[in-house]
Amino acid sequence: MEKQTKFKILLVDDEEIFREATARQLRVRGFTVLTADSGETALDLVRTDPPEVVLLDQEMPGMHGSDTFIAIKEIDPLIEVIMLTGNTSVENALELMKLGTFDYLMKPVNIDELLYKVEDAHARKQLNERKQQRDSNSRPDKDSLP
Amino acid sequence: MLKTLGNRLQKLFTKDRDTEGPSLDTAAVEELQLTFKTRYYSFRQLLTANTKTLESMAEIEKALQGFEPFSFSFVQKACGTVSINVFSMIQHMENIAPGKYSALRESFASIQSRIDTLLRQKKELSDRRLVIPLEAITSDMTDVVGGKMANLGDVKNRLQMRVPGGFVITAAAHELFMNTDGLQKEVDRLFQVAGSDLDRNLDLVSSQIRQLILSADVPEPIYNAVIAAYEKLKQQHGGQEVRLAVRSSAHGEDSENSSFAGQYRSELNVNFAQFFHFFKQILASKYSPQAIAYKINKGFRDEDIAMCVGCLAMVDAVAGGVVYTRNPLDRRDDNIYINSTWGLPKAVVDGDTLCDLFVVARDEALTIVREEIYDKAFQVICYEEDGCIRTETDADTAKLPSLTEGQIRELADAALQIEDYYESPQDIEWAICSDGTIYFLQSRPLQQMEASLPTDELNLDRFAASLLTDIGINASPGTASGRIFKVSKKVDILQFPEGAVLVVEQALPTWAPLVARAAAVISERGGFAGHLANVAREFGVPAIFGVTSAMDMAENGELVTVSADLKRVYLGSIAPLLEWKRPELTPMKGSPIYELLQQASRHIIPLNLIDPESRDFQPQNCTTFHDITRFIHEKSVVEMFNFGKDHHFSERSSKQLHYKVPMNWWILNLDDGFVHEVQGKYVRLEDIASIPMLAFWEGFVAIPWDGPPAMDGGGMTTILFRSTMNTALVTGSQSKYADRNYFMISKNFCTLSSRLGYHFSTMEAMVSERAVENYLGFKFKGGAADYERCLGRLHFIQEILERYGFRASINGDNLDARLEGRRMEYMLERLKILGYLTLHTRQLDMIMGNNAHVKYYMKKLTDDIDQILVGQHTCAV
Repeated sequence: MEKQTKFKILLVDDEEIFREATARQLRVRGFTVLTADSGETALDLVRTDPPEVVLLDQEMPGMHGSDTFIAIKEIDPLIEVIMLTGNTSVENALELMKLGTFDYLMKPVNIDELLYKVEDAHARKQLNERKQQRDSNSRPDKDSLP
Repeated sequence: MLKTLGNRLQKLFTKDRDTEGPSLDTAAVEELQLTFKTRYYSFRQLLTANTKTLESMAEIEKALQGFEPFSFSFVQKACGTVSINVFSMIQHMENIAPGKYSALRESFASIQSRIDTLLRQKKELSDRRLVIPLEAITSDMTDVVGGKMANLGDVKNRLQMRVPGGFVITAAAHELFMNTDGLQKEVDRLFQVAGSDLDRNLDLVSSQIRQLILSADVPEPIYNAVIAAYEKLKQQHGGQEVRLAVRSSAHGEDSENSSFAGQYRSELNVNFAQFFHFFKQILASKYSPQAIAYKINKGFRDEDIAMCVGCLAMVDAVAGGVVYTRNPLDRRDDNIYINSTWGLPKAVVDGDTLCDLFVVARDEALTIVREEIYDKAFQVICYEEDGCIRTETDADTAKLPSLTEGQIRELADAALQIEDYYESPQDIEWAICSDGTIYFLQSRPLQQMEASLPTDELNLDRFAASLLTDIGINASPGTASGRIFKVSKKVDILQFPEGAVLVVEQALPTWAPLVARAAAVISERGGFAGHLANVAREFGVPAIFGVTSAMDMAENGELVTVSADLKRVYLGSIAPLLEWKRPELTPMKGSPIYELLQQASRHIIPLNLIDPESRDFQPQNCTTFHDITRFIHEKSVVEMFNFGKDHHFSERSSKQLHYKVPMNWWILNLDDGFVHEVQGKYVRLEDIASIPMLAFWEGFVAIPWDGPPAMDGGGMTTILFRSTMNTALVTGSQSKYADRNYFMISKNFCTLSSRLGYHFSTMEAMVSERAVENYLGFKFKGGAADYERCLGRLHFIQEILERYGFRASINGDNLDARLEGRRMEYMLERLKILGYLTLHTRQLDMIMGNNAHVKYYMKKLTDDIDQILVGQHTCAV
């Protein structure tokens, strides 16, 4: 699949093999990929080198994926986050979706599906940026896309 | 959002009308584009979530066929994926039409809570006693003492047959043992760490867990309860020490579809001094590598299996064995099969030695119809101290029958009583002690196989001459025969004969009501994940989809045999195929995990909202996730394409199409519909990037219009009359009917509102590489002729559209046609057809009273379309 728009993705997962293999597949397709092995490292990167889209593992030792998601949104609400999970709790997933997680993907991840999701997440980010810009020009009370 | 959008558009264009001058400022255009993009984005996401939901439902249904093992985590994952995607659809629907379908959230919450309750379910034990004597046990105590001992309790206490005395250490005791010193938590942790690698690390995990159990102390309450029970047993044996047969009786063991045969440990002739060592060995055997694997394959959750332990006074048997109350290898054979050997029945159960076989007829005299006596060179006997030993049988005795005729009949008679009691074939273990008394040690359901015919024995080649097709996918398994009935229009539903083979071009939900009446379903297109496949499986109707020649392979009324398993359709009734039943290899059916998925699926799979025209098609009537997806899918299409409905655009807010000359067509670019920024009032075709619009236009200009058809006097009179009565119909008048033709476009999206002559049509299209998102809608209304002729033209257009794969329906004087989910190339071809029809059906209502004219135009239009589809057409100027 040929993609013209390339942007920056942050991939957060404590499983090294999965992290590196997925990052490689994304880089081959022209994306700029940052990686982090923990929530804490991810937050540092979000502050210093903000990505457009974050792929975030739900089950990580130390800072849990859900907490990392909330912290990322606090730093920059427009960054889109796709959760990756092996065995998710539906309750937790629905709760995070209400809070604005872009989507959930079950591991093992199909690369084509991942690419679609990443592109769609990026499209949402662009839309929300346009809305924010529009609102800053007119009124400040518009909601972003769910 | 819809209302807001409508208001914005109204405002923009009202202002434009009032002033007859320029109007849309850049900010307003930007706002319009942003609103469109938001809605378009949500619509696409919604379609993707819809597809994922249907795929997960298909996975659940496949699992429920019971042929493949699945684990609890599969159930969690499948149900979770459906929930997440349905919720995602609701969120996107709210974005497309805010506040309009808020009842969907309530329906979702109610369904989700029912599924949550099921998945969280943990059985509470109904009896907290740690040890229960055998004489107090009946078969309704399975959850307390395990299936094996519960069954034996019935044989002893209800059937009053001879069973050794004893007691059971219960599920409550197992729970206490595992919850002491955090044992269960550590076991759970070891499983979690192994995760999806459990298969590879099975031996290691098994060994670690068993070591934990073997090194744990028996909690004092269990210890005391066992001692007390043993003392009572001793009293029953005159105060003598009693050797025990200590046997596993786990949950799920010896049930109808899972025997767990040989998976757990049993110890014979146990001296009570060593009892607690063997007790722990049996508890630990729950985690033997084979037991863990079996559990996964049979669909048991670890936490659902309590290991109860049965303790029976040991029978020092001189002969023993197993009775099958029917032939386990052939359901049709109802003789009683008695396997017997010298010594303990263990030798028979373990398959350790050749054993005698006595086959007894089920007649009044219990006739022995067959005897096979073997040289039983070895036997297993009790050691004097404790334990058992395999020893050689005396050479003379070895060749003698191990049972007398009287014993054979006594066993057969007892076996029939047990089978009658349980109302199912049984597998019964028995032993005869030295005084000739027969004891029953175990009775469990007997698993029987169908005598199956392998495919190669069916010799399919002999039916080759009758083979109509062997392509397609098995959308719903089974084999059936019936007469072909092709359905392409809704009206065909009324004529569908009971028991016919339903043949359709596309596996649409529209045909769902027919499935229950059909013998089988064949479709040219459609997938395993589609609604119709779901419904076919729900009704157990065989279905083959993807049979590309289905509509042409046989005539209506011809008898065919459909074997979905073989993915073949034969002409005529092929008796050997119809007689061939698949062996019921459904290891998962009846297991706790299977039951759980089945119960959860009742809140997911059934489709109750079938007819969008029905008054019941409401969000609050969605009782399953399938209903919600169906509802949202239907409504989202309507909402998405409402974007262009009823709004009129001025020349200033849009560009006029310049195609060789300025045309009476205006174009509003919603996003990326132009190749580049277009200056001035005109836009040329080469400036347009909208894929669907270009395809439509290609069809529109492909073949020049011949001009109005010749009218008869009646047609002309009607026009004059209608024009007089309704000035809005006069071309050029300044009324809402005189508005121009408008395209609203983006690269992959296009709507068109057009008025050519006296008819109005709208076209809606979304076309991209993602087939799942592709959609075409076409509406046609109006005409200058009388109602009957206008209706005649609608039927005329409907017939053409259906011929080319559209679903089309007529309500009142509206024609509504749709097409979705097809590849981009296919969609673009259909857009060309719509373009062609938009021009060439102009004023055809006038000739609808004349059959010869109707025939002529039907042939001309379809010939033209066929030319367009093969690319042999001239371009109109």
